[in-house]
Amino acid sequence: MSSLAVEQVKVGYSNLMIIDDLSVEIPEKKITTIVGANGCGKSTLLKAIARILKTRKGTVYLDGRSIQLLPTKEIAKKMAILPQSSDTPPGLTVFELISYGRFPHQQGFGSLKMDDLKHINWAIEVTGLSEMRDRSVEALSGGQRQRVWIAMALAQDTDILILDEPTTYLDLAHQLEILFLLQKLNEEEGRTIVMVLHDLNHASRFSHNLIAMRNGAIVEEGTPEKVMTRSNLKAIFDIEATMSVCPHSANPIYLSYTLHKLSEHTLQKENKKSG
Amino acid sequence: MIDKPYVSTYQQSRQKRKIYTILLILLLTVIAFIISMNTGFIRLSPMELLETLLGMGTEKQNLTLFEFRLPRIVISVLVGIGLALSGCVLQGVSGNALADPGILGINAGAGLAVVLFISFFPTTSDVPVLFLPILAFVGAGVTAAVIYALAYKRGEGITPTRLLLTGIAIAAGISAAMIILTLRLTPDNYQFVAVWLAGSIWGSNWMFVLSVLPWLLILIPYVFIKARVLNTLNLGEVTATGLGVNIEKERLLLLAAAVALAGASVAVSGGIGFVGLIGPHLARQLVGGKHQFVIPASAAIGALLLLSADTIGRWLIEPSEIPAGIVVSVIGAPYFLYLLAKSKA
Repeated sequence: MSSLAVEQVKVGYSNLMIIDDLSVEIPEKKITTIVGANGCGKSTLLKAIARILKTRKGTVYLDGRSIQLLPTKEIAKKMAILPQSSDTPPGLTVFELISYGRFPHQQGFGSLKMDDLKHINWAIEVTGLSEMRDRSVEALSGGQRQRVWIAMALAQDTDILILDEPTTYLDLAHQLEILFLLQKLNEEEGRTIVMVLHDLNHASRFSHNLIAMRNGAIVEEGTPEKVMTRSNLKAIFDIEATMSVCPHSANPIYLSYTLHKLSEHTLQKENKKSG
Repeated sequence: MIDKPYVSTYQQSRQKRKIYTILLILLLTVIAFIISMNTGFIRLSPMELLETLLGMGTEKQNLTLFEFRLPRIVISVLVGIGLALSGCVLQGVSGNALADPGILGINAGAGLAVVLFISFFPTTSDVPVLFLPILAFVGAGVTAAVIYALAYKRGEGITPTRLLLTGIAIAAGISAAMIILTLRLTPDNYQFVAVWLAGSIWGSNWMFVLSVLPWLLILIPYVFIKARVLNTLNLGEVTATGLGVNIEKERLLLLAAAVALAGASVAVSGGIGFVGLIGPHLARQLVGGKHQFVIPASAAIGALLLLSADTIGRWLIEPSEIPAGIVVSVIGAPYFLYLLAKSKA
């Protein structure tokens, strides 16, 4: 198994530092979800963990070794990344695109060995793409395409999966499909999953561990029970939430919410409605 | 886990079809090769051709075939391969299907070097014309390096879009400089430069074959081995990084290979455009998106395209000739417009 730890990391873009000094440990074989408002640094943290962004200070450790010092191909054998969006090159079948996931395990010209085919076929099976394996990727719907990208990451055969908003742009049913799939991979295969989700209720329902961020720092971290509280939601998002319990997972969820600091105008409108 | 790893029959037949397609293009190239040996002011019938090839030709036939026609044909094939592969790599690295060696300022840089050379050492002087390929190659390389340096941004490295835009700007600037320089040339020299820029396979002797061949022998296998890397680069930066590709290093090396391929080609052929654009494009339409197939198909199409263009150019207005670059452009320009009209963006 592979472990991940972030130590005193400073990271951001060329002239804008998003995170100044952040440390966190990602529990092994668990689903960890980073949540927070737009611009809070959740994607930045995920990209730092995934070595997409180089850290200015501090280190991300994979199995106790700095990811800056490990060869990128070695990292790719332990950690797969699903970005917010990928380019779909024309003229590829589902099978062909998923086979690209074998890159870190291949040599030379890249003909597929038995071991490669085993992992590709398993990834196709587990993502429910068997029927579509010979279809052109371009002809697929958004939800199907997202499953193809997940299958490619799975074919990479890594202990850790990193996903940046894997359910964005998908409708309600397809969002759940993806999350159930990730849950299954975690439960049956013991894969460590680290992701960013926008939907707080999904985050609470499917995660073992939540990391809530604001202004580049961690506000709260721990089990959904610990993080998803009324006061925390106010601190993280400036919202007044009405809390409840998810009938499926027994984790806390919010039923509805309103803004913490309403302007005069909206306040009047809200008052009128409520009577 | 599934015990029996398998590839679907559809996938297998798809694979076979791609291989047959590539073999078919190679066959067409061989046919074009034979037709081209027959084409020219001095007619060689198929029988005479065979006799000459077997060493039983007359002195005149030997001279025509071995000293004039064959080197020219071989150069067309090599240059076609070089330009198409260069375009294939550039399109793969930049993720832009409209990228072409010309965009990296390679044609302009080589042209500028040639014009500068002619301005100082007119063709009538004793300085051997054999210097031209070397100069053109250096010109192409220097221009590409300048474009790369200008497009490079600290902390971010090189992004394909900035590279393409810088390339277009530099190429435009160089073209302007070239026009000013050519105005000062004598009519004879101007004529030479004009023909060179139009892209005629002018360097048609075995020396020039030898000046391109080593580059191709080194770079073709290199590009083939990088097929997998090109595949992943097409998926976007983050995905490629996630798969374990060292993007900055691979981009730099592949760009260098593309510059060397195109530079060596342009050095002996002059400013031939469009082969690097159309070759890989047709290849992708015929064999799909995997570079394991796109690369050999591009090379074969490039060879076929340029050899056909040169043959047509020699045959159309005999005994004079149209530069191959013009013939390619006449076919290429409408095709380019067709691509633009068809592309979604």
